[in-house]
Amino acid sequence: MARASKKGMTRREFVKAATVGTVAMGVAPEIFLPRQSAAVSRELKILVWSHFVPRFDKEWFDNFTKNWGKANDVTVKVDHIGLAEIPSRTAAEVSAGQGHDLIEWISPPSQFEPSVLDLSDVVKEAEKRFGKQHPLCRRSSYNPLTKKYYSFCPGWTIDPGNYRKSLWEKAGKPNGPETWEDLITFGGKIKKEQGIQLGIGLSQEIDSNMAARALLWSFDSSIQDAKENVVLNSKNTVAAVEYMARLFKEAMVPEVFAWTAVSNNQALIAGRAAYILNSVSAYRSAQKEVPEIAKDVYFTPALKGPRGANWSCEHVIYNYIIPKYSKNVDMAKKFLLALVENYDQAMYSSELYNSPAFFDAPIPSGDRGYPAVKGAKKLRDLHNSWFDDDPFALPGEAKGKLSVLKDAEKWSTNVGHPGPANPAEGEVFATFILPNMLANAARGMKAEEAVAQAELLVKAIFAKWRKKGLVGGTK
Amino acid sequence: MSGWQEDGTTVGLTRPGFRDQAGLLAKLMIAPAIIYISAMIGIPFVLAILYSLSDVTTGDPTLRLIGLQNFREILADPVFRISLKNTFFFAFVSVTLVIILSRILATALMADFRGKWLVRFLIMLPWTAPISLGTIGWLWMYDSIFSPIDWILRSIGLLGTPGALLGAQPNLYWLGEPKLAMASVVLVHAWRLLPLATVIQLAGLSSIPRELLEAAEVDGAKGWRRTVEITIPLTLPIISIAFLFGLIFTFTDMTVVYVLTRGGPVHMTQVLSTWTFFKGIEGGDLAQGAAISLFLFPALAGVAALMLRMARRTEVV
Repeated sequence: MARASKKGMTRREFVKAATVGTVAMGVAPEIFLPRQSAAVSRELKILVWSHFVPRFDKEWFDNFTKNWGKANDVTVKVDHIGLAEIPSRTAAEVSAGQGHDLIEWISPPSQFEPSVLDLSDVVKEAEKRFGKQHPLCRRSSYNPLTKKYYSFCPGWTIDPGNYRKSLWEKAGKPNGPETWEDLITFGGKIKKEQGIQLGIGLSQEIDSNMAARALLWSFDSSIQDAKENVVLNSKNTVAAVEYMARLFKEAMVPEVFAWTAVSNNQALIAGRAAYILNSVSAYRSAQKEVPEIAKDVYFTPALKGPRGANWSCEHVIYNYIIPKYSKNVDMAKKFLLALVENYDQAMYSSELYNSPAFFDAPIPSGDRGYPAVKGAKKLRDLHNSWFDDDPFALPGEAKGKLSVLKDAEKWSTNVGHPGPANPAEGEVFATFILPNMLANAARGMKAEEAVAQAELLVKAIFAKWRKKGLVGGTK
Repeated sequence: MSGWQEDGTTVGLTRPGFRDQAGLLAKLMIAPAIIYISAMIGIPFVLAILYSLSDVTTGDPTLRLIGLQNFREILADPVFRISLKNTFFFAFVSVTLVIILSRILATALMADFRGKWLVRFLIMLPWTAPISLGTIGWLWMYDSIFSPIDWILRSIGLLGTPGALLGAQPNLYWLGEPKLAMASVVLVHAWRLLPLATVIQLAGLSSIPRELLEAAEVDGAKGWRRTVEITIPLTLPIISIAFLFGLIFTFTDMTVVYVLTRGGPVHMTQVLSTWTFFKGIEGGDLAQGAAISLFLFPALAGVAALMLRMARRTEVV
């Protein structure tokens, strides 16, 4: 028999109270909280990366989405996450069948094609309103095999060479390198005579991946051809790999094997890099932290290879996907078009980090939040004007430093060049096969062997994704 | 209501209900733990097995079973073989180092000295910090340009001058040279596991009866002989537990390698947990990622079984 104390509870009373309490806690939300509507909600949920230029998010994107939401009678909820979290977060949401209506990637999300909507209609409408989409953006969001736009690309980022003018002047090349060979000739001289090395990553990270691609393409080599056949093992690839082994020996130090996404910025700001491959963000950081270094930083277009080809990999490619589970498809598509319509603000607030996918898009009238540019009617005009006369240049800084980037779209291309981006190219990128191929040679492996090893891995990956029906080609 | 009559019979005494059954209550109490473990470990584990036998990707969660193809493919992958070897290498080398260091520390902490609490507190600190934060701290220590370790070495003339013992270059490039990168990973694992192992060893040393040590001393067993013949044999079960705990923590950890090297240079520090992530999540091939991660399971299950056995033996002791 349970014994009751005057003040306390019996064990039986305790169990009863706990059971009732637990049930009540479980049931209460169902009774008292408003039920989530299974129908179309008036909330658009957007997941985007935390932009490298902080003011882009704080001063523009968050306000833009809020105002757009007000104008369209929809609550827009924006979540920012680090770029490294995007793949796992997207995978989790797709697997759970719920989450954000729009997810922004900064690389081609081609592996998600089966779980996202075909955005051909958005691209068609955008091209109708804003002119032709840049081919590198198209190739980063369109699968020619399935004829689907698995994502929508409103912009991208240029990946030029950044060099320290004072160092290159002393070495006898005041306008910086023009060819890859110049890096060995003059970069080697700078390292030997001035003690400053080049900083081109040979590591398991994003910038090294882009540098490796730029090198291969400029040596007329690539992972795949235009029809998505693997063509990595070629004389040209071997020549590119041999070149990198020489470059490492002459002009770099082992720090490049431990290169990270911030190493470009760190090395440039610390005055420990004569040349890096990076977007303007490293230079912008230098402007804020070490102005005297920033004033000495100049830019080069993609370097020419032995036969004159010069290619650079886009540094960032903005790609929005709409997962099939989204209940706000129309609103999400409308938002994407509005984003393109206002891309002038994206370019400005990113301090020219973002370049447009639709260069012919008209500039909306009225106060755009930046000093008006005389005579500018299209994004192309703004692009040319701002790169000629950088609105973010430091006082006393030389004018026209960014002019060489005006025609960047001619020498910039997509991951997968000369073919489209695809899941096999994505996995090759994610598993660092190219930078490791170059690093192996730089560490002493024969170039032919390094290429053969890489080819083995690449072919297995392509065969696997081809079986899933997402990659074209036959070999 | 119920009660006893004078003749000893009961009046209105109800039959014991489910609330009076101690066994049922025990089951109810343990149920949340079982549900939690099933949901958080059991379901993902079963899913991992299913995924590894399918061609599921991050972008296409539809399950189509393809047998053991993923296992065949990963076994043919040279990076997988490097990762497997590295996983065992890092686990055994780090834990062996930890056991030796924790033994020394625990023995030192058994002695009475001023500021003992402060030393104990400092030793425990790495255990209180999240692994990722601690590892980011180490990432700075190993930085190719700003490494304070290199700065100290340069300051004392061991690095950065012609003829210096460690070379004329200004930095050692800790994470850029394969051997140094491997040593760096081992060092961070040892740093983070040391506090737990020290506490476990301290508990073991404290449990040795003082009379036994005094008797040994009277019999002339001192110093090294006392350590080898008395304290180590008596604390062996608990040392084994520290060893096995360390193995499990190192086998399953992804943070240290991911933050420090991302498996580089050239996969020289790649381990199964990071390779699972790169292949399965970043590369999109969830099925192969699951197959890679399951390779750890037999080893971990064996270690866990050993741990439980050791724990039972320790109880008996």
